[in-house]
Amino acid sequence: MLLSESEIKSICDQLLGHSKADDAEVFVSNDDYSHLRFAANAFTTSGRRENASAGITVWIGRKRGSASANDLDAASLREAVEQAEQLARISPEDKEYVPTLERQTYRPVSGYVEATANLALDDRARAIDSIIGDCEKQKVIGAGFHHASGSASGFATRHGNFHYGRSSLVSLSVSARTPDGGSSGYFLRNHFDIAKLDTARIAREAIDKALHSRNPRTIEPGIYPVILEAQAVDDLVRLGFDARSADEGRSAYSAPGGKTKIGEQIFDQRLNFYSDPWHPELPGSSAAQAGIPAQKIFFVRNGVLENLHYSRYWAREKEKEPTPGPVNSILESSAQPATLEEMIKATDRGLLVSRFWYIRNVDPRTELFTGLTRDGLWYVENGRIQYPVRNFRFNQSVLELLGPGNVEMIGASERVSGSESQGRSASLAPALKVKAFHLTSPSDAV
Amino acid sequence: MNRRDFLKTTSLACGAASLSSWSWADEAAKTPAVDKNQLADLAIRQAKKLGASYADIRINRYRHESIFAREQRVQNVSRSHDFGFGVRVLLKGAWGFAASPVVTADSVRRVVSQAIEIARANAAYQRKPIKLVSTPAVKAHWKSAFEKDPFDLSTDKKVEFLLALNEAAMKAKGAGFVTSSLSFQNEQKFYASTDGSRIEQYIIRTLPFFTVTAVNRSAGDFQTRSSLAGPKTIGYEYLENYPWLKDAEKAGQEAVAKLKAKPVTPGNYDLILHPSHLWLTIHESVGHSTELDRALLWEADYAGTSFLTPDKTGKLKFGSKLCNFYGDRTQPHALATVGYDDEGVPAQRWPLVKDGIFVDWQTTRDLAPLIGHKKSNGCLHADSWGSVPFPRMPNVSLEPARENVSLENLIAGVDNGILIYGNGSWSIDQQRYNFQFGGQTFWEIKKGKLGEMLRDVAYQSRTTDFWNACDGLGGQSTYEVNGAANDGKGEPTQANAVSHGCPAARFRQINVLNTNTKKT
Repeated sequence: MLLSESEIKSICDQLLGHSKADDAEVFVSNDDYSHLRFAANAFTTSGRRENASAGITVWIGRKRGSASANDLDAASLREAVEQAEQLARISPEDKEYVPTLERQTYRPVSGYVEATANLALDDRARAIDSIIGDCEKQKVIGAGFHHASGSASGFATRHGNFHYGRSSLVSLSVSARTPDGGSSGYFLRNHFDIAKLDTARIAREAIDKALHSRNPRTIEPGIYPVILEAQAVDDLVRLGFDARSADEGRSAYSAPGGKTKIGEQIFDQRLNFYSDPWHPELPGSSAAQAGIPAQKIFFVRNGVLENLHYSRYWAREKEKEPTPGPVNSILESSAQPATLEEMIKATDRGLLVSRFWYIRNVDPRTELFTGLTRDGLWYVENGRIQYPVRNFRFNQSVLELLGPGNVEMIGASERVSGSESQGRSASLAPALKVKAFHLTSPSDAV
Repeated sequence: MNRRDFLKTTSLACGAASLSSWSWADEAAKTPAVDKNQLADLAIRQAKKLGASYADIRINRYRHESIFAREQRVQNVSRSHDFGFGVRVLLKGAWGFAASPVVTADSVRRVVSQAIEIARANAAYQRKPIKLVSTPAVKAHWKSAFEKDPFDLSTDKKVEFLLALNEAAMKAKGAGFVTSSLSFQNEQKFYASTDGSRIEQYIIRTLPFFTVTAVNRSAGDFQTRSSLAGPKTIGYEYLENYPWLKDAEKAGQEAVAKLKAKPVTPGNYDLILHPSHLWLTIHESVGHSTELDRALLWEADYAGTSFLTPDKTGKLKFGSKLCNFYGDRTQPHALATVGYDDEGVPAQRWPLVKDGIFVDWQTTRDLAPLIGHKKSNGCLHADSWGSVPFPRMPNVSLEPARENVSLENLIAGVDNGILIYGNGSWSIDQQRYNFQFGGQTFWEIKKGKLGEMLRDVAYQSRTTDFWNACDGLGGQSTYEVNGAANDGKGEPTQANAVSHGCPAARFRQINVLNTNTKKT
């Protein structure tokens, strides 16, 4: 059972009440998490974990100390406060101290569903059993991961602010492999509402990808036009817009002469990247950094870099407003979206990419990433998928990928989760058709 | 691997820049008395009563201390301790696991019932019942090798170390930024099982790290150089015995030099890989490919499978005859070194690749029977009391040459090559064939002599091609043990601390690319 708003408020009040420091902020959080894994068409591990914690940061003058505990009884809370204050007294001054916020007004978000947080174990076991049954019928070997959680959290400040929020998440990934090990497919989706997680579709897409990838051919590495499914886009496009590193000259958004790229067109003019806490499909927290009420904010609008992320400290240093986000991640086209089928039809020669794997930054100056295609790669010619091909390693700058002149078609954005996040993250991303993508060497992996 | 993962605190975190010793006596006084044996008896009795054929309980405490500094500012000092228990039960061939931070008899009763409930729900649909190989019951206490327990030492001293490190790093003109961290880990693990085992272990790890950045603002360019030495299962003496300040000063100079270094010309080169770099290549290509759970498709949904399969055992030519790799949970100061794994199996050392031939696997008690083995190699591990234990990598190390071969001897045998120090960017496919690695510094080798610094270097290869191209190993004098404390695997992902010992080594004709796509 998650802590209610009044329970969390009470713990926050106790923490603040114990403290005599000049300034303080406190937090309380708890969660209930469970999972079931399966592989080789059988259940492997399954478990449940509950946890809770409460913490306080105090400033005595500008000296800072903090402590937290996962015991929420009165004695433990008092001890945490005493420890934080003791630490503050012997600490050097916090040069980046900014006073905590006064009372703020938050517009509610809706990202919690009781049925998601309190998933029935038998229902889950039955659903996964059904997926394994589908795999057996289609003569593929299935593996996957189902997890569900509910969490509640709140924070408060010495200066009168208080915020409470609850969220839920359910996620399922399914991998399918043919028994000869020659082909594989994968599909992942998550949602805050378990009623909107289509487990049958997830299984079907993974199995279909595996079956349609049999007998892949070998083609040469090189620079290819590609169609990236929304999953592949979300796997690869990891955008961070930190102002401080850009101002310090050590980010892809730094410009020669000590400037930043704000105002420059960095992406195709149809592309927008923004955060919107009230998006119905992707609700974010109503509180952004340090408790600032979250707002819809564009970082890239019509391809132009419009904002960088200023922390409260860096905003003060640079005489800017602190940034009220991001609290989620939305990459979207301002033009009429194209379907995946339309992208395939419009391709004379290219590749269709299902997803990417083991993506690592090689050069932060250009946001160059390396990684591999995985679980579905097909050769497209004359407007049709011709045949599956073996996987590749890529080395690709994300700035070049999304840059002016490279993006040809953009799909409708849909809720996806980065496959390396195991369904913990969520964002809205579109499929893309681009002119040039750098595939640098073949991989035998399936 | 994500450095931030292991820095997450869950139980007790304190922040300050100057703090006196966190003494055992103080902590013990504040910690509620827990009779672990009594709780274990209760858990095991109840699990058996509810039908479990096997059950274990782990009651663990984890302590972390971390200090972060940037230039001459201490950004944070954090301490945490994380205490709780997890119960694992096997019922009708299905696993169930549940965990709680509330370590009381009532909580143990409730959590055992939850684990049983999970196992029972799954058992109804289990197609391939889990079976375990046996292991002797053990009653033991084990402590890792260290001289100075960092948790008994003043935080002031540690902060001073980090600030001195940063000062040294910024001595070079043009070394504009430095971030550094110093972390210590302590695991106090209690394990009991229906086999009758009762094991307590106490492990200390020390983890220093820094990165220096040099910026050319007029050109909009920047380069970094990170520390070369890695974390170890060792005490505070690591900070006193390794030349950290010297490496930091050199790092500052090399970050600045990288701004003007010669761009590498893509092509095939002979590579000399220093052990500060080679450990990671071993980890990704040898360590992960010899995990049996991957080969049996248990990790197919996330981490992936392996190009190795059971039928290749004893047959596949993994590398040249020089290649001898051992799984080793006994190696001094290595991160995966323990007395016993998380299901009571004693630490072992065994060959994985012998004279270039792949010969054995990393196994656990539920994996071993699937390939006809009668015993486990002791590779079960969980990163928390609240995590389900599952197969994790032991230290996997490459034997050095028996002869006294120096780094210079290896370089002398190269006509056109590159020497690489430190680990940079890394990526490998889901079956561990195709990989790409960067590094920290790169040095040209021409006609057997070391030349000027290069930049923008990465190499790509295929695991068996690469290890079969190995034609030179350094001797014991070049041998180092390096590793990482946060190797990620599993669903939900867990961190594992693991090291890889190796000498310097030479590889012939490896594909090198230039990673710079910046248009200047």
